[in-house]
Amino acid sequence: MSIVLDIIISGVISGSIYALLAIGFSLIFGVARIVNIAHTAFYMVAAYCIYAVTNYLGWPAVPAMFIAVIFSVILGMVTYKLLLNPIREHEGAVLIATIAIAMIFEQVMSLIFTGTFLSVPKLVEDYFTIFGVKVFYQQLLTLGAALAIMLVLLLFLFKTKLGLAVRSTAQDREVANLMGINESFVAMITMGISVGLAAITGAIVVPLTILEPHMWTPPLIMMMAVVVLGGLGSLKGSFVGAYILGFAEAIVVFAFPMGAFLKGSVALSIMILVLIIRPEGLFGVYFEEER
Amino acid sequence: MKTILFYIRKLFAVVKNEVLVLPSRVAVIFFFLFILLLPFFTDDVYILRIFTLASIFAIFAASWDLLSGFTGQMNFGHALFFGVGAYGAALLNLHYQIPPWGSIPLGALVGVAAGLIIGIPSLRLKGTYLALTTLAFPIILLGLVFTFPGFTGGELGISGIERLAPTRVQEYYIISVLMLGLCTIMWAITDSNTGIIFHAIREDEIAVRASGVNTTRYKLLAFCLSGFFAGIAGGLYAHFMRIAGPSTLEVSLSFQVVIWAIFGGAATIYGPIGAVFFLYPLVEFMHVLKDYRILMFAFVVLLVLLFMPDGLFRWLREKVEEECPRCKVRNIATRKTCRVCTAPLD
Amino acid sequence: MKMFKRLIFVPVLVVALTISIWANAFAADEIKIGVIGPMKFVQGISHWNGAVMAADEINARGGVKVGNKMMKIKLIQADSNEFLSITDATNAMERLITKDKVHFVVGGFRTEAVMAMQDIAMHQKVIFIGCGAAHDELCNRVAKYYDQYKYFFRGTPFNSTNLVRAAFIHVGTVAEVIKKELDIKGPIKVAFVAEKAQWADAMVPAVQATLPKMGMELVGVWRPSPVATDVTAELAGIQRTGAHLIFTVFSSSVGIPFARQAGELKVPAIQVGINVEASKDDFWKATRGQGNYVVISATYARDVECNELTKPFVEGYLKRFGEMPTYTAGTYESIKMSLVDTIEMIGTLDPDKIVEALENRVYKTPPSTIMYVKDNLGRHTHDIRFGPGYATGLAVQWQDGKLVGVWPNGWKPAPGVEVTYKGMKPIKLPPWMYQAYKKK
Repeated sequence: MSIVLDIIISGVISGSIYALLAIGFSLIFGVARIVNIAHTAFYMVAAYCIYAVTNYLGWPAVPAMFIAVIFSVILGMVTYKLLLNPIREHEGAVLIATIAIAMIFEQVMSLIFTGTFLSVPKLVEDYFTIFGVKVFYQQLLTLGAALAIMLVLLLFLFKTKLGLAVRSTAQDREVANLMGINESFVAMITMGISVGLAAITGAIVVPLTILEPHMWTPPLIMMMAVVVLGGLGSLKGSFVGAYILGFAEAIVVFAFPMGAFLKGSVALSIMILVLIIRPEGLFGVYFEEER
Repeated sequence: MKTILFYIRKLFAVVKNEVLVLPSRVAVIFFFLFILLLPFFTDDVYILRIFTLASIFAIFAASWDLLSGFTGQMNFGHALFFGVGAYGAALLNLHYQIPPWGSIPLGALVGVAAGLIIGIPSLRLKGTYLALTTLAFPIILLGLVFTFPGFTGGELGISGIERLAPTRVQEYYIISVLMLGLCTIMWAITDSNTGIIFHAIREDEIAVRASGVNTTRYKLLAFCLSGFFAGIAGGLYAHFMRIAGPSTLEVSLSFQVVIWAIFGGAATIYGPIGAVFFLYPLVEFMHVLKDYRILMFAFVVLLVLLFMPDGLFRWLREKVEEECPRCKVRNIATRKTCRVCTAPLD
Repeated sequence: MKMFKRLIFVPVLVVALTISIWANAFAADEIKIGVIGPMKFVQGISHWNGAVMAADEINARGGVKVGNKMMKIKLIQADSNEFLSITDATNAMERLITKDKVHFVVGGFRTEAVMAMQDIAMHQKVIFIGCGAAHDELCNRVAKYYDQYKYFFRGTPFNSTNLVRAAFIHVGTVAEVIKKELDIKGPIKVAFVAEKAQWADAMVPAVQATLPKMGMELVGVWRPSPVATDVTAELAGIQRTGAHLIFTVFSSSVGIPFARQAGELKVPAIQVGINVEASKDDFWKATRGQGNYVVISATYARDVECNELTKPFVEGYLKRFGEMPTYTAGTYESIKMSLVDTIEMIGTLDPDKIVEALENRVYKTPPSTIMYVKDNLGRHTHDIRFGPGYATGLAVQWQDGKLVGVWPNGWKPAPGVEVTYKGMKPIKLPPWMYQAYKKK
């Protein structure tokens, strides 16, 4: 019985983390068809930003988090405008450009902060005990944030004019352009939102773990798996996919402690199995233009 | 005697009329000469080492291009073929004492099998789905490598593999001549009917199927061919480095090959090869920059992409050569009229 | 056009080559030592620091006396980038040997990379002292193919078999303390947490077999990935088993989140074992002080003296670099004691003669006394002897921001033998362990 509780709690927490990352990644893909490999690199930048503000300026964690998010959003929009927008038409080039951007961030961070492991303070300290399982308040925060962000994002997409523009661009870029939507601007705003989500995730997740310049690759792979599993460009899919893989990981860790290192492999195998049955992912749609 | 003279004259005519007229062909000749004559200019084992590794990676990058560049089946887990080839050759050599000339092709066959295994489930997937799914395969295999350390050596990898040849110059020649040969074969494949079908699949798969071509078979063929060549590259790597370890399966290697290929120009074969021979030594000799090495590498890639999103070598070729609007024959850019049909070039 | 790039490239290469050869010609009375390691990481930085300290000390006293000539030491740094690319590591090794023409190489860390680098150095007959990788295989190769691999020596740390042996002794020592302090009647419950790596695999059966013999109970085995960043799931599982002691085997980054999260969750168990990250000064900051009470194997500790060489080295290092040396700073003794002393003894730079002389030496280094052992078949392994009087290592514990030595403190390895190093302190248990167990 207790093992079931462990699995549920741990699955919900890691699922929420993946959901936060995957929603942002899925959003920019849906709108601009950009596979942003650098997505988790922005998450790393935000985390280092928090470290720098709390450590060198001595500020508390919450304002540091705001600064980090704002900084990352600006960085993301500038990157899009300068480096990605000019080559939007070349799918392969965009892909590599995002890899190169991620490498640049990694290198810059390792030049500034060296390769040593660092850590940042939690937004909320301490833990509580539920059914004999100790849970950090910070972990509870990830669940709350995942739900809240999903809600805000849905409100934004369905209740605001800009949201409408984003949705129509996602549906058909050319027609949206013809209808007078500044498609490039919408893509830039979406990039900002997407990176902002990555930054918020960084602020919430990184206090639980450690900071190092290569920290962007492990979550990247899981995030991509989630997005593919759920269906590219589908927010609902990302959300559901995140919890499926989160639970899959938790089951591996608790049911087969000797094989805890295999949790990533198992999650990826599940993704492939789902794709064999449903090639467009759980909630994905086939994009006509991508035939 | 007469026949010999005839062939010499024919060769001379071909060189004069077909090779020297186009800068890209001259460049290829120079490239061949450079590769074959390098050891006459330097016997520095370090420089030979860099170019040997560049040759291995050139095969690898070209094999990615054969699959992903031509058929458009974006493979983000190309390291799988490389790693499988390396582990295959290493295990065969270590446990069954099969010498390199046997273990490398057999390892490459394991690569073909890997191509089939990931090709079949990937057939239904397209575009980004395929890219991200293929990314997963080497990671899953890496999990297996760590699960059976007795067989795979875990994080240590398999070491104690036989050397390809006793001296570096011999190793260099074996690998570089193989590289020239295999890359020519790959280029020939892409230039054949099969290559045209590959190309067509990328452009419009449904149209190809409508023309009565079994695209499934051709896509699988592309996976297998690519797996074969990448497997050879992996086997050569294992015998050259004398270790086949988990680093041959890492995501960074998969990314690296995509960078090389797209940087040089996808769907060209010569682009990825040129990119490897340009970037690999460049990054290595940039070690004088110490900490800034990878940073500079990333900047170079980014800048080239910004100004030449179709790839460096394709861009260069467009600059020096022009296609005749009437007969589609390539001409040097300085010409005013086409060399074959004399149509004016704009 | 591809060729065009190449055409510029070749002359550049040729010029670079000539310059380096020309420079070499003027450097005849220097001993060149290559220091290879991941220079962007703590391991590589320590490799370099230790080597710099050794070179400066030797050059300050006038250099190395080879026959009747004094030769200065010149260090050449090579960034192996081995955590990210094995080919980079081998290229760097080849460059050191063929371009920079070094006489000796010290360093190396990631085993897969060290094996590949070892092959290159051995082929060029250059003495390579490994200062980082612990795997037994490195020395097994020496025994098996002596003629080919005899130029390799283990510098630091001692091999993984002995690391494990030492870890068991530490676990036993701490278990005694738990029994006494907390008044526990039954067997001490041990949770075994080892990163998923091949060198740690062999430990699972060893732990299963040995712990019951030591009067302890193994309650579970966990194998997180070496680079896992979140281990709360594993920790929840461990807590359920009611373990008193967590036997850790970490060489990678996972050691930090494990210690930090265990501390934050106040898991009522003490961590003992191998945790490479925890031996660095930055560990305290990286865990935000939550790594308190972690007990680990280490090579150096503040105010601990294994012999008369320890103090000057540790203090000199602290003064110069502002932090405690980690074990990869063992490049210091590899250069100063292993290489230079041997060279001065025999008066030649001939690698074969040095190998022969070094094999037969027994000498003191800051952390231990080194003697090279032979295997069961009497073959040279160039591995280091472990045991009282030789290399033993230390157990150290984080106590309120400081690493203090806790073992060997009254260690009785054999009847009538007792080993205690200078500067040892008693082991402290985490206060939340007292809260958890004293009530019952």
